[in-house]
Amino acid sequence: MTSLLEISNLRVSFPTDDGDVHAVDNLSLTLNAGETVAIVGESGSGKTVTSLSVMGLHNPRSTKLSGSIKIPDGDQVIDVVNDDAEKVRNMRGRVMSMIFQDPMSSLHPYFRIGKQLAEAYLVHNPGKKEEARKRTVEMLDLVGIPEPAKRAKDYPHQFSGGMRQRVMIAMALMNTPRVLIADEPTTALDVTVQAQILTLMQGIQKEFNMGILLITHDLGVVAAIADRVSVMYAGNIVEQGSADDIFYRPMAPYTVGLLNSVPKITYGEKQRLQSIAGQPPSLINLPSGCAFSPRCTYIENAPAGSCAATLPDLVGVSSSHVSRCHIPESDRPQVFSHVAGGK
Amino acid sequence: MLTFVSRRLVYAAITLLIVSMAVYAIFAILPFDPAALTCGQHCTPLVIRANRIKLGFDKPLWEQYWMFLHGIFAGRTYGVGSAAFHCPAPAFGYSFNDNMCVTELLQQKLPITLSVAIGALILWLIVGVGLGILAARFKGRWPDTASSVFVLFGTSLPVFVTGLFLLIWVSIKWKIIPISFLGYVSVFSDPIGFVKLFILPWITLAFAFAALYTRFTRASILETLGEDYIRTARAKGLSEKKVLRIHTFRAALAPIVTLASLDFAGLIGGAILTETIFNLPGIGQWTLRSVYEFNLPVVVCTTILAAGVVIIMNLIVDMLYAVLDPRVRI
Amino acid sequence: MSRNTARRKVVASLATVALAATVAMVTGSVSASAATKKLTPQTGGTLTFLTHSPRLDHLDPTRIYTGRDLAFETAYFVRTLVSFKHVAGPTSTSLVPDLATNTGVPSNSAKQWRFTLRPGSKFQDGKDITCADVKYGVSRVFDQTVLGDGPTYMINWLDIPVDKSGSSIYQGPFSSSAAGIAAFDKAVICSADNRTITFKLGMSVGDFNYLLTYPVVSPVQKAHDLGDKYDLSPEATGPYMIKENTSAHLMLVRNPNWNKSSDPIRTPYPDQILLNYGLDQQVQDQIILSDSVPNAMSFDAPLPTNLKAFFESSSFKGGKLNEDTAFVGYIAFNVKKMPCLQIRAAMYYARNAKALLDYAGGPTYNGSYTTSLTSPLNTVDYAANGVWGPPNPDWKPEGNVAKAQALMDEAKTACPSEYKRVTTTGVTIDVRQSSTLTDTIPINKAAFARVGIVVNYNPISAGYYPTVMNASKQNDLSNSGWSQDWPNASTVIPPLYTPEGGFDLSQNTGEAIYPAFHAAVLKAIGTSNRAAQAAQWKALDKQAAAQFWVLPTLGIKTQVVWGTGVQGAYYWLPQGEPDYAKLWVTK
Repeated sequence: MTSLLEISNLRVSFPTDDGDVHAVDNLSLTLNAGETVAIVGESGSGKTVTSLSVMGLHNPRSTKLSGSIKIPDGDQVIDVVNDDAEKVRNMRGRVMSMIFQDPMSSLHPYFRIGKQLAEAYLVHNPGKKEEARKRTVEMLDLVGIPEPAKRAKDYPHQFSGGMRQRVMIAMALMNTPRVLIADEPTTALDVTVQAQILTLMQGIQKEFNMGILLITHDLGVVAAIADRVSVMYAGNIVEQGSADDIFYRPMAPYTVGLLNSVPKITYGEKQRLQSIAGQPPSLINLPSGCAFSPRCTYIENAPAGSCAATLPDLVGVSSSHVSRCHIPESDRPQVFSHVAGGK
Repeated sequence: MLTFVSRRLVYAAITLLIVSMAVYAIFAILPFDPAALTCGQHCTPLVIRANRIKLGFDKPLWEQYWMFLHGIFAGRTYGVGSAAFHCPAPAFGYSFNDNMCVTELLQQKLPITLSVAIGALILWLIVGVGLGILAARFKGRWPDTASSVFVLFGTSLPVFVTGLFLLIWVSIKWKIIPISFLGYVSVFSDPIGFVKLFILPWITLAFAFAALYTRFTRASILETLGEDYIRTARAKGLSEKKVLRIHTFRAALAPIVTLASLDFAGLIGGAILTETIFNLPGIGQWTLRSVYEFNLPVVVCTTILAAGVVIIMNLIVDMLYAVLDPRVRI
Repeated sequence: MSRNTARRKVVASLATVALAATVAMVTGSVSASAATKKLTPQTGGTLTFLTHSPRLDHLDPTRIYTGRDLAFETAYFVRTLVSFKHVAGPTSTSLVPDLATNTGVPSNSAKQWRFTLRPGSKFQDGKDITCADVKYGVSRVFDQTVLGDGPTYMINWLDIPVDKSGSSIYQGPFSSSAAGIAAFDKAVICSADNRTITFKLGMSVGDFNYLLTYPVVSPVQKAHDLGDKYDLSPEATGPYMIKENTSAHLMLVRNPNWNKSSDPIRTPYPDQILLNYGLDQQVQDQIILSDSVPNAMSFDAPLPTNLKAFFESSSFKGGKLNEDTAFVGYIAFNVKKMPCLQIRAAMYYARNAKALLDYAGGPTYNGSYTTSLTSPLNTVDYAANGVWGPPNPDWKPEGNVAKAQALMDEAKTACPSEYKRVTTTGVTIDVRQSSTLTDTIPINKAAFARVGIVVNYNPISAGYYPTVMNASKQNDLSNSGWSQDWPNASTVIPPLYTPEGGFDLSQNTGEAIYPAFHAAVLKAIGTSNRAAQAAQWKALDKQAAAQFWVLPTLGIKTQVVWGTGVQGAYYWLPQGEPDYAKLWVTK
């Protein structure tokens, strides 16, 4: 498998008057062709910051970046963190594309969608207007917009929510990118429409052999399409593994908490939802040690004082399934046993 | 579109009718005898009574108002015998202080006020929006700082201070644009004379307004730059220049259209200070003087004009919005 | 009646204040330097005037009445039958013929006056001026509803009957009955050759010919009369005619149908006269101060804050005048409401005239304490009456509290009910609304409070005179002012102290001495021996002053400034303005 995206030791922080906000701390992640990698976490965990950094859409004047984000482009490999901004811009929309949570606000209300799609093509293929037009209709057709040539003349507000997200996807596909970053692509949509969009994404992924970096807080979506999952908490990856690992063999208390807070459709008696107690920490003054420790219900299972003292390493028995926790890995299945076997 | 415009025009007519009634009502409850205001120190009761009859102030208020409405459509005749004279429709009455029909006076004054307002509008839009764009584009850097100094001066110096300063120094003392006493010249007959006559008033007004517009434009652009669709545009790989030019300006400048049209409407209603300082006998100076002189027909006319301009400008704004923003359909 | 409007403006711009005065007359007139006067007048150029007024009060000859308008318009485009002499100094108040060949021939105890027109005088359209035109011009003043604001002496004086309501049966040229027209035709008669006009009066008027210095008696072509609209474009008879009359300016150019041989008075120098309306007063002052337009003269007194720059700084190179005017300020007592002489007198003595004059800026630019209702500029009729102002040893500028208190003590027994009202609820003074009231009212209240008099103020913001002249609306006292129409107290004492004079705010007809006073006034009007008449006016002024029918305040000063290019200016006493007819420009 070819690696399409390699994030190594990414740190992102925003200097403010009250101190630096550490949005992402030491994040490493790989995305391969044809693969869907999900980043899961609560709001403020750093997942969106990570995705914007990958696109190079962070504000260079107010963001401090270190580490590297390597993306191969033809013969060369571009490092989004360290390379020239113009190089990164040239790659945006061509090698990597992005779709966003709210398709209504993400489409420009003043322009016909045909124009907006064509523009995405023309940026990287200047002057090829005819091709742009053709490609627009083609892509709209591909994402399942009926009468694409006609609808291309419509404005965003004339589409339904699901159709708009299809349009966004079509726009992202205009230059056949290798990497598609989907930031909460279904969050703003109706449940029935969500499924359609996810199916569409999977179909497209197959067709173009793309790598999809899925940013979401919705474990249902993750379960539906992700191959591998990274769980983030307070700027750190706390657990990384295959989707099966995460859902059936969670190794980090935070992952366990997340899984427990998902409503489950079961026959018979109703189950109470278990939310994670407490609030995510401020990213300016992170608690010392494990950032999750103040909210961790399993803290007494760890060696005394260890949670408050040091941040556990991201390690695991299997190199494909790693996690951060001071509780010995062998104890954890027992400790987390009341988790009712994943989904 | 046609239905929209015609419906709005009907509303406008109703509004103007109500405005004119209100002005009549206000003058009716003021503790002044309008007939007594027609003459000075030797106003004998006999003359006052005669003038009251001549001007129709002896009639009930509703009848006076009816005569006013009738005059707008059919013209109005004042006086009797060989001293009678006629104001042709649309007649807004007769100004005894000026010895002229109000409509005739309006025809003299409107071009002056329009010249002031349009020229100033163009100037302040260029300067204000231009600086606002620069300030937003280079937020936090020196063009932003420089423009905020401009904004500080523009918003804190009253129009009469800048106006008097310009007039006294530029025109009177340095004689860069010598003061002209030749009165209004049309832009079509004498473009250079026109610019010489109006450039200082334009600068005076534009200075104050441009400052507001700089601030407003800057804020509006920065707000638009935070929109999701701008992020999308960037995600397409558009250069920052194109993001600004194609995606930001149109959306950011839409609210400025509203602001500008209302400010413009306000100026037509009377740039009183500017007209007074530069002695431009336009609507503002005329209105002020007429209020001071309790010249009812003129006050009614200029009030209706001011209200009418606001209504028309609102209509134009709505139509412009429909052009700018496809979500708005009329 | 008086040149109300312009004078009102003077009062207002001087801060409506003023009200009293130390020093007798401050005669410090500063005039254009003697050197420039010796230059030979040049012909040509444009003479520019600047005013903050939006327009002249009137251009229609029948309606011109304010001093500045009279001086300006008779100098340039309106000729009258007789005129004041266009010279500096007191001889200017004597009459010289203008359109007429003489200054009038009275007969029948000054009940009939005859004037003959000068041959060769033409209207601006080239038509000869005839007696019929003058007669038509005279007829116009009778329609006060169309052509108001002018002097109305003619309506009272001509031998035309009045109806039951007291109005003349002749109602002017626009709407008269046959009887009215017949009566007017009997009172104003043209000779067969249409050159001599005869006025028949209902009473003896010794100074009738002075009225003929007013354009209200001047020729108007009937065919060109536009009623109210004639005010916009009256036909010229003088050396200039109106070329443009807009809301920005009045432009006068040479009248081709005027010729020097038929006009003994005017020598036009500039080619063009440009009067610019509506300037900001500060701008107006700066133009003159910086000599930005050297050929400009300001039509208004400078702003009080700029007076020092003009009059006390050597950097100002233009010309200037600072002169007394004939305007006299006063507060009329409504004698019907305040019949107690002791209280009226007490108010006069209690008033703090000095504080008010100081507030106004002092005597240099603002005026002098009034010593007679007749202005000192009227050298024939003026004499300090001995009751008012400095000549009275009991009078003190800051008020004579002891004297006022003594009068109040007398009033306590002489008129107890009025005394009680004045010292409890108080008296009410009508005043024109003004920004200076907030400062002057406390000064006045404090001064009157020294003798227990309570004063209340009734500020009126519009239609001041029509309000106070309405007997049902007038309060105990009403602020006012007056200026003579010509240097004869006949234009002061009858208007202000008798109802038929038209401006009697004192309501004094019920006073015991009134019948005798009234008879003496009529006698004085009919006296054609000027010296004898003057003696009668002086006696009447003294008599009225002792009755305190009015409370005199201040004689007002005026200032005029102009640029270095304007030459030949001097103060012309008849209208209290520069003599516009003699101005010329150098550049």
